[in-house]
Amino acid sequence: MRALCWEGVGKLKVRDVPEPTVRADGDIIVKVRASSVCGSDLHLINGFLPAMREGDILGHEFMGEVVETGPGVRRLAVGDRVVVGSVVACGGCWYCRTEQYSLCDNSNPQPVFTEKLWGHSPAGIIGYSHAAGGYSGSHAEYVRVPFGDIGAFKVPDGVPDDSVVFASDALPTGWMAADFCGLTGGEVVAVWGAGGVGQMAARAAQLLGAERVIMVDRLPQRLAAAANRLGVETINYAETDVLEALREMTAGRGPDACIEAVGMEAHDVGPAYAYDRVKQATRSQLDRPTSVRQAIMAARKGGTVSIVGVYAGFVDKFPLGAAMNKALVLRMGQMHAQRYIPMLLDRLATGEIDPGYLATHPMSLEQGARGYEIFEKKQDGCLRTVLHPA
Amino acid sequence: MMGSNGGRWALLGAATVTAVGVGRAVARRRRRHQPDEQDGWYVVRRGVTVDRPIEAVIGFWTDRERLDRALAEWATLEQIDDEHWRCVAPDTSGAGTEWRAELTVTGPGRLSWRVTDGPEQQGTVALVPAPQGRGTEIRAELRYRSGPVRRALGLAGGHEPDLRLRDTLRRVKSLIECGQVIDTRHDPSGRSRAQERVTDKMRERLSTGGRA
Ligand SMILES: NC(=O)c1ccc[n+]([C@@H]2O[C@H](COP(=O)([O-])OP(=O)(O)OC[C@H]3O[C@@H](n4cnc5c(N)ncnc54)[C@H](O)[C@@H]3O)[C@@H](O)[C@H]2O)c1
Ligand SMILES: [Zn+2]
Ligand SMILES: [Zn+2]
Repeated sequence: MRALCWEGVGKLKVRDVPEPTVRADGDIIVKVRASSVCGSDLHLINGFLPAMREGDILGHEFMGEVVETGPGVRRLAVGDRVVVGSVVACGGCWYCRTEQYSLCDNSNPQPVFTEKLWGHSPAGIIGYSHAAGGYSGSHAEYVRVPFGDIGAFKVPDGVPDDSVVFASDALPTGWMAADFCGLTGGEVVAVWGAGGVGQMAARAAQLLGAERVIMVDRLPQRLAAAANRLGVETINYAETDVLEALREMTAGRGPDACIEAVGMEAHDVGPAYAYDRVKQATRSQLDRPTSVRQAIMAARKGGTVSIVGVYAGFVDKFPLGAAMNKALVLRMGQMHAQRYIPMLLDRLATGEIDPGYLATHPMSLEQGARGYEIFEKKQDGCLRTVLHPA
Repeated sequence: MMGSNGGRWALLGAATVTAVGVGRAVARRRRRHQPDEQDGWYVVRRGVTVDRPIEAVIGFWTDRERLDRALAEWATLEQIDDEHWRCVAPDTSGAGTEWRAELTVTGPGRLSWRVTDGPEQQGTVALVPAPQGRGTEIRAELRYRSGPVRRALGLAGGHEPDLRLRDTLRRVKSLIECGQVIDTRHDPSGRSRAQERVTDKMRERLSTGGRA
């Protein structure tokens, strides 16, 4: 079959690779119909999340059709149209039982790297390097999904492929980010990063009761998409002092909750950014935490900072003093896909959430490398490139 | 003059103190990473928490089929009588050789084992209820003959008994909790056969030992 492989930092290539086979009772094989790029892939492609190997197949946000099931699969059958959560969860450990799926104890067969780096190993993730289990990704004609009954969900008829594909990752991540904010109604929520994840976080915050959502980014087309599709307010950080603006928009209080959906390759203006870039380029710091710093400084006293942008290592100039003295609540994590997907599919079916507009650049698998380039450089108003291997 | 000389002395002093301090810290770290020693035995204690009540964990040990599956890749088990079992495993450090161990059930949720033919090794396993309804702690204690050099080589080569113990505990936990030990080796990739071999080595390093 054809698959989009990582060939070294910044290099992608479509290759002929063997097809996956059922290896365990709970496995299913999915014929991929839509497989999206994600901001996390950029961290992987650019070598900021370590442990990629030449030849690894990328892709972790996808949907398709079940073409084979292992003998232990109960809930799914050949022919089902399914969306698959990026996070692999066994369904049987304490973390899975308490719906903290991205912390699953048993789904990363190569846990030693992250145990050394972080003290414990979180769940495996499909197509997400050898640190996350070494699973083959979904930018391919077929993909093996372990624990199919736990990780794959039947998709309601009438929701198009290029919309439901985001129920795999961007949407549950955005939802979790808003869920972390503990909204009770009427709050002001600021969201850093107007990519797929940030846009979904903004929508989720609205549905969970936020009265105002303010998005921060520098890309006018993304901010415009958010304003038009979701009716949020926007701040362009390249033109405006974000902290000033947020203080003013909230009459001095600051946002009740700040969602960070940017991640370790955050961009910024000013000298601190140059400093972070140098440190990151020399790998003496893996992460550039500019937006996290800003979110902490902006949050109101006693507010919440919810981080879903991905970080890997240590950060520097972290305003712990501000977080401590303002008594902030910090929440963060990889998303618990399986906890949210069924509820989100219901909301997609009713049209309450419509993530289809994120799929600005549908392409064939063969165009994968170009698709990532457009996505990375945010050319042509790209929110997400969605590959179609079939 | 005095001032700058004094300054230099102070600096040298500080450097020495720091160096000694670092040396001490490193030594302390090393010690922490070395297993205890008792009467010439190395003793390591490892534990894993399984999200199932004790009865279910004992059930696993007495379920022949599942146990065989757990041991599949590295040992066979043969029952001698109610309390005694014999375990035969290939010696991971030497090619083709085998070692045998005898297992004895010493009480409810307790057993001990001793290698009868092979590298000197013995140990115990105890099942303890975990707090907060978190299931069962499988606590294992392993005693083996080794030395710092042999241990270092074993850790580097991936065949140190301590690493094996941790692998085993992780396998057992996974089998009890979700019925399988997940494996991603040889899933599709764009690698050549030579690249795949190198990757396999790396995968092995990333899956050997760990916390357990
Ligand atoms: N926690 C999870 O489970 C999970 C899941 C999916 C993605 N992610 C992470 O979420 C993050 C966003 O993903 P995405 O797909 O939306 O990525 P993306 O690259 O499409 O979007 C990131 C956006 O952040 C903006 N940005 C950069 N620096 C900024 C700054 N200083 N302030 C405000 N905005 C800034 C960029 O202009 C861009 O629009 C990534 O780090 C990704 O790894 C996490
Ligand atoms: Zn993702
Ligand atoms: Zn689990």
